[in-house]
Amino acid sequence: MSAAWSESVRPLKKAFWSCSPTGGEGRMMLPKHRAHETIRRRSALFVAILTIVLAGGGWGQYAIAASSPDVQAKLSYCKDCHGPSAQGYRGYFPIPRLAGQQPAYLENQLRAFIERRRTNNIMFNVAHSLSPSMLAALAADFHALNPPPIGGAPQRLVATGQKIFQDGMPENNIAACAACHGPGATGSGEIPRLAGQLYPYVIKELTNWGKERGQNPTKPDTSAIMSPVAHSLDQEQIDAVAAYVSTLK
Amino acid sequence: MDVRNVQTSSSSKRDPRRPLRVAALRFPLQATMLTIAVVATARAENTDVGTVSEKEVQAKLAYCEVCHGVSAQGFHGYYPIPRLAGQPTEYLKNQLQAFVEHRRTNNIMFNVGHVLSPAMIDALTTDFNALNPKPLGGGPTEPVAEGKKIFENGVADANVPPCASCHGPEAKGNGPFPRLAGQLYDYIVNKLTNWDKERGQNPEKPDTSALMQPIAHSLTQPQIKAVAAYVSSLE
Repeated sequence: MSAAWSESVRPLKKAFWSCSPTGGEGRMMLPKHRAHETIRRRSALFVAILTIVLAGGGWGQYAIAASSPDVQAKLSYCKDCHGPSAQGYRGYFPIPRLAGQQPAYLENQLRAFIERRRTNNIMFNVAHSLSPSMLAALAADFHALNPPPIGGAPQRLVATGQKIFQDGMPENNIAACAACHGPGATGSGEIPRLAGQLYPYVIKELTNWGKERGQNPTKPDTSAIMSPVAHSLDQEQIDAVAAYVSTLK
Repeated sequence: MDVRNVQTSSSSKRDPRRPLRVAALRFPLQATMLTIAVVATARAENTDVGTVSEKEVQAKLAYCEVCHGVSAQGFHGYYPIPRLAGQPTEYLKNQLQAFVEHRRTNNIMFNVGHVLSPAMIDALTTDFNALNPKPLGGGPTEPVAEGKKIFENGVADANVPPCASCHGPEAKGNGPFPRLAGQLYDYIVNKLTNWDKERGQNPEKPDTSALMQPIAHSLTQPQIKAVAAYVSSLE
C-alpha cells in the first residue's frame, strides 16, 4: 500500500491509540472499571474507523476528495504542460488534451507508462509516483473539464476527415472511427475521447502507433486493437481524420 | 493431399495392443477430414457467386475484427458490437442484406455491407461460423437462473414462447435463427428493447424480424435482462 495510504491513516491511528487504556503515558494505572469503559470506547472507535476506511471502496481503493490540497497541487502540476484547462498545449512536443477524457482510458494510459507498455520517459517519471487513489482522483477531475478545442488544423481537410470518421472507407478496409469512439468522438470506457484533441498529436500517434504503444511483450494491451487501423490509413487520411476530430467540441 | 498423408502416417503407427487409443486418435482425424471436406465444398460453391482471393478475404476479416473482436467474440466499443463467432451463415447473410436494403438501420453497417460481393459474403460468413472463442462475459450473474427458466420454458402468462424452441436448447441458432450463446449482454438488452425501431424498417421488404417483434414486446425489462444474462454466459 502506498505512502499516501499510511499518511491518511496516521491521524486515525493516533486517535485510536489515544483511547487505549495502556497506550498513553500515565494511563497505565487506570482503575479496572475505567479501563473496561475505555476498551469499549476503543472498540466502538475502531469499528467507526474501519467503516470509514472500508466505505471508500476497499483497502487499496479509498477515495481522495477532489478538493484535497494534494490533488489540487498535482492537478496544477499536470496543467503546467497539458494547459490550464487541460485543453492540450503545443510544447516542444504536442501535449495532448486531457479535458473530457474517459477516466478508464486515462488510468489505463498512466499505468501503461508505468509498466513501459507505452514508452514516454517524461510520462513514466510523472506517473510512477502516483498512488492509485491519486490516479483515480486526477482522472475524474480531467474528465469533468470541458474547454473548447484549441484548434489550429487546416480547414480544407475537415470534410474528408468527417467522412472517414463517420463512415470509414469499407472498400479499403478502413474502419469507421465512430463505431468505437462514438459519433461525437467522445469515447467510452477504455476507448479515448478524440473530440478536441490536438491536430499534431493525433497525427503523431496514428503515424507512430506500433512504435510507442504495446511495447511490453509480457503485457499485451488494448492498443493492439488500433494497430491494424492505424496501419491501414495513409498519411493524407491520417491528416484528414486528425483535422476533423480536432475541431469537435 | 495433405489429408491422405496424415491418414497414412496414422495407419502406419497403428499398434494392435492399443486399439482404444487408435480409435480415439482416429475420431478427431475423421472430424478434421469432414471439416476440411465441408469447408472445401463451401469454397467450391463460391464459384457460383464470383470469386474472391484468399488474401482479400483475410484482409476483410481483419477489418471486421477491428470492431467485432480478434476472434469475433464481440467488443464493447462506443456501442456494444455483437459477437459473430459461431453465428449461422444464413443469419449473417440475411443481416448483411438487411443493412444494405435498409431493412435494418445502422449507418456504419450499411457502409460496410454495401461494398461486399456475394463471394466475399460467402467466405466471411463461413469463416465467422467456424470460430468458437469463449464468451466475452461481463453480464450480471444474479439473473442467470431466471433467464434460463425463461429461455427454456417461456413465460406462458405473457404469451412468450420458450426461446429454445427456435434458437435451440443451447442457443446455438439454426439457419435464419441467430445464435445467442455468448452474445454480449448489453447488445441483447439493446436489441430486445429496441427491436422494431431498428429491424423491419423497409415496409416494401417485410422480413423474418417480424417473428421476434411480439415476443420482444411482451418481455418486461427485468425479463429481457435475465434472458440476456443467461445467453451471454453460454459457450
